[in-house]
Amino acid sequence: MNRNRLVGAAASAITLTLALSACGNAGGAASSPEETGPGEVRVWLVGSDTPQDARDYLKETFEEENPGSTLTIEEQAWDGLVDKYTTALSGSDAPDVVEIGNTQAAAFTSSGYFREITAEEFETLGGDDLLPGFVEAGDWEGKHYALPYYSGSRVVFYSEQVLGDTAVPTTLDEYVETAVDLHTKDLSGVYWPGQDWYNALPFIWENGGFVAEQAEDGTWEAGFSSEGGLKGLEQIQTIMTEGNNAPADTNETDLQVPFCEGQVAFLSAPSWIQWSINAPEEPEDPDGVPGCASTYGSDLQAFALPGKDGGAAQVFAGGSNIAVAQKSARPDLAMSALEIILSDEYQSILAENGLFPAKTSLFEKVDQSTSIGTAAAEAAANAKLTPASPKWADVESQMILQTAFSKIASGEDVKAVAEKLDADIEEILNS
Amino acid sequence: MSTTLVDSPAPPRQEIRHKRRPPYLPWLLLSATMILLGVLTGYPVLRLVVMSFQEYERAQLMGQPAEWVGLGNYAEVLTDVEGFWIVLGRSFLLMVFLVVTTLVLGMLVALLMMRVNKALRLLVSVGLLLAWAMPALSATTVWGWVFDTQYGVVNNLLTRITGDDWFGHSWLLNPLSFFLILSFIVVWGAVPFVAFTLYAGLTQIPEEVMEAAQLDGASAFQRFRLIQVPYVRSIITVLVVLSMIWDLKLFTQVFVLQDIGGDRELTNTIGVYIYQTGMAQGHYGLASAVGVIFVAVMLAIAYPYVRRTLREEEL
Amino acid sequence: MIKVRRRLADTGFGALAVAVFVFSAFPVYWMVNTSFLPNNKIRGRDLAFFPTPDVFTLNNYRSAMFGEARAPFPPAVLNSIGVTFLTLVIALLVGFVAALALTRFQFKGRRTFIVLILVVQMIPGEAMIISVFRIIDGWQLLNTIIGLTLVYAAGVLPFTIWTLRGFVNGVPKELEEAAMIDGCSRAGAFWRVTFPLLAPGLVATGVFAFLQAWNEFVTALVVMQRPEAMTLPLWLRTFLQATQATNWGAVMAGSVLIAIPAVIFFLIVQGRMTGGLVSGAVKG
Repeated sequence: MNRNRLVGAAASAITLTLALSACGNAGGAASSPEETGPGEVRVWLVGSDTPQDARDYLKETFEEENPGSTLTIEEQAWDGLVDKYTTALSGSDAPDVVEIGNTQAAAFTSSGYFREITAEEFETLGGDDLLPGFVEAGDWEGKHYALPYYSGSRVVFYSEQVLGDTAVPTTLDEYVETAVDLHTKDLSGVYWPGQDWYNALPFIWENGGFVAEQAEDGTWEAGFSSEGGLKGLEQIQTIMTEGNNAPADTNETDLQVPFCEGQVAFLSAPSWIQWSINAPEEPEDPDGVPGCASTYGSDLQAFALPGKDGGAAQVFAGGSNIAVAQKSARPDLAMSALEIILSDEYQSILAENGLFPAKTSLFEKVDQSTSIGTAAAEAAANAKLTPASPKWADVESQMILQTAFSKIASGEDVKAVAEKLDADIEEILNS
Repeated sequence: MSTTLVDSPAPPRQEIRHKRRPPYLPWLLLSATMILLGVLTGYPVLRLVVMSFQEYERAQLMGQPAEWVGLGNYAEVLTDVEGFWIVLGRSFLLMVFLVVTTLVLGMLVALLMMRVNKALRLLVSVGLLLAWAMPALSATTVWGWVFDTQYGVVNNLLTRITGDDWFGHSWLLNPLSFFLILSFIVVWGAVPFVAFTLYAGLTQIPEEVMEAAQLDGASAFQRFRLIQVPYVRSIITVLVVLSMIWDLKLFTQVFVLQDIGGDRELTNTIGVYIYQTGMAQGHYGLASAVGVIFVAVMLAIAYPYVRRTLREEEL
Repeated sequence: MIKVRRRLADTGFGALAVAVFVFSAFPVYWMVNTSFLPNNKIRGRDLAFFPTPDVFTLNNYRSAMFGEARAPFPPAVLNSIGVTFLTLVIALLVGFVAALALTRFQFKGRRTFIVLILVVQMIPGEAMIISVFRIIDGWQLLNTIIGLTLVYAAGVLPFTIWTLRGFVNGVPKELEEAAMIDGCSRAGAFWRVTFPLLAPGLVATGVFAFLQAWNEFVTALVVMQRPEAMTLPLWLRTFLQATQATNWGAVMAGSVLIAIPAVIFFLIVQGRMTGGLVSGAVKG
């Protein structure tokens, strides 16, 4: 076969494609001049955490304030969110306002995906009143890109019908003991699906361990295999294997189902799960998932996960940030939507639904007359974030933690799992 | 590989010289193909090669200029024994297992269809057709549900049959049983095509040939080995090549099954690995290097087949 | 004696055939069964093997098609049908013409072209997604049927050409030449003589274009991002979200809805398909 001919043909094919695609590239890079007047704004909210009332309020208020414009909320899934945002936000048909998990924000703020929020805009949107930890999560090199949306830490739910006269534990060790004591073939002391790593972090922190820390030279060191980390992991394994009937390989989906069947003594979950548990047995909406309002939901209570020495444990600060996409076709309208989202009215709706609002001044709006509200407040006061590295989102999207805790749940050697986990985390954070 | 590929030289056809045709005519006929493939395959391939020499991350997608890193990405991939090499080896092992299993089972089912009466043959065909028509995503989801940890029918039946408590047994967490179920799904979906094709090939063997062999005292196995296999040999070749390409590029089933449960690191195959490195983690440069290396390996393996094809084209 | 053995063997093979059927059809049966059961039966420890009238429900279908939390169903169906149909047409037309050029003509660069067509099939599509996304984005074709169709057509084209080439090779040139002697033009001879003989080949390759376009979801995930632009596989995937209750009944109902058109399509083309593949392989 004639080599030259092949090369020649390939070269001409390449020239052809280059010529053909030249126009393609130019279109992608150019940003359209800013328009004014009515337009369309798309808001991407993730998961079902945002209550329907808040969604309605956002749409109505926006369309009232911007006559002729429309606002559409498109719900995204937490699964594969980083993958999707990576392309969607870089394209010409990008959404305008997006919610992003607080631990994932850095991957995007560091790469220019979000529109900068100027100091002036920051002040009008809430300024110092905005949750400091979450503001920090959305900052990059001293500038604001993503602002707090809401936060919500996990609390431990229980029903007295199941718990009986067992006392509520006051320290972390007691919590572990109680879980093991209560455990039978049909009852989980603590219901803990193996992939749920959010619930594992308090055990690491309370025992003196850490997730990952940055040394002076900028390299990251992971700490699951540190002394405290291992102690925490052992406690976790004790609960998972001796106090728990949840499958080792599933995530925290459908937590209300076993709870509603009376198979769970303690359930550590975000506070909004109370609405799932307290849903009617026969939902009217064909899409509704049945709860158990008349049985185990009727006396639903909660406490903050106790710390090693009593008090509330340091728990993971779950929650979201919100940002305007850099490629938004209508940043003016997007900012208008963002203003509504961070308004006292909108945030109050979130608070009334048990989420912690983006503004500290609105915390009092969270109903604290129930044990659930108080527990949520106690937990939030002691909440911690995951390592502040733009690469942390990759650790999450790789499912490294989920896998490691699945292994711990299925009884594998704690030390080996911890060392493997640390190596994996360090590889990603230091890459 | 070359041993599995059999010569099937097309019968030499006499060349008849035609009236002169415009020399540009074939290229005119190929123009649509060239435009479509040039733009949507050729250009991405070119980008793939370029990106494999760059540090290309999320920021570059947003328009920041990419930095040239020479062979840096290749060095990183090729020295990543735990990542790349294991994934590559796993993909090839899995491919061999899947191709062999699919072909053997497909052949057995085809022979079975030859052997049974019309009614039973129709029954088998209906079953195979259902399995074949099932979209891969639906199929994987349904199998995931059948093997579901808590409510799956398999765990439920096992509990009844063995008396042990299988509820909560996770089939996907252990990599071995993950691949067992994955193979289940893939083979289940792939056997119908192979079986139908082989069956159609087997029915073309003249009945007299088989009868004569039987009268001569040839056993069923001898007839299979000496008559049936040689007759469908070229079909088998095509099926093997197709299955190899498809099974190496396996994506949907692995991806969805990992979503349902399973240790990503221990169950990645090459397609999913490229996706994870690029789309999920944003290391497009690295992912491109993996892609280029993978194609190179594929080419090396397929070289004999390509050469044979070329030789046949000499005619 | 021989008769008894023969009958025994018949029974054995019959049982095997039934076993093959059961194994092939079981997941399909289980999918359909689950899709008609209420949630409490699905999650119960007592297996319900049949949706008896007292538990039979269409709620799962209602939820899958009209549930508020899901991506809308009607546009997903239309998008999938549109993309699949267009992909099929483009791939077959373009592929057929190309196969013709590669078999009926001798020209410089032919072999190179054939090799390229073969090599292209070895490139893992996942590695090119990002570039494909940027091209489609550059053309402002994100979230459009045309954009996704172009990607799919380019994806199946090499295989289509490769397979069709075998079929065209299988039809002797002499047939056309005979027709030409009878007064047909070259094109006419081709159209009246060769083309009908290729029908099974077109069906066989069409099936693969269909499967690709109907089932693919990774490229679609990237190119079709608006809820109303989703194809059916993307729509089904929105059912399987973590941190949200997985409604297995609805998932199965959704799977049934996706599978039905595929099964219908297969039933229509089934007879011609396998025959076509065989002749293509044997003669090619």
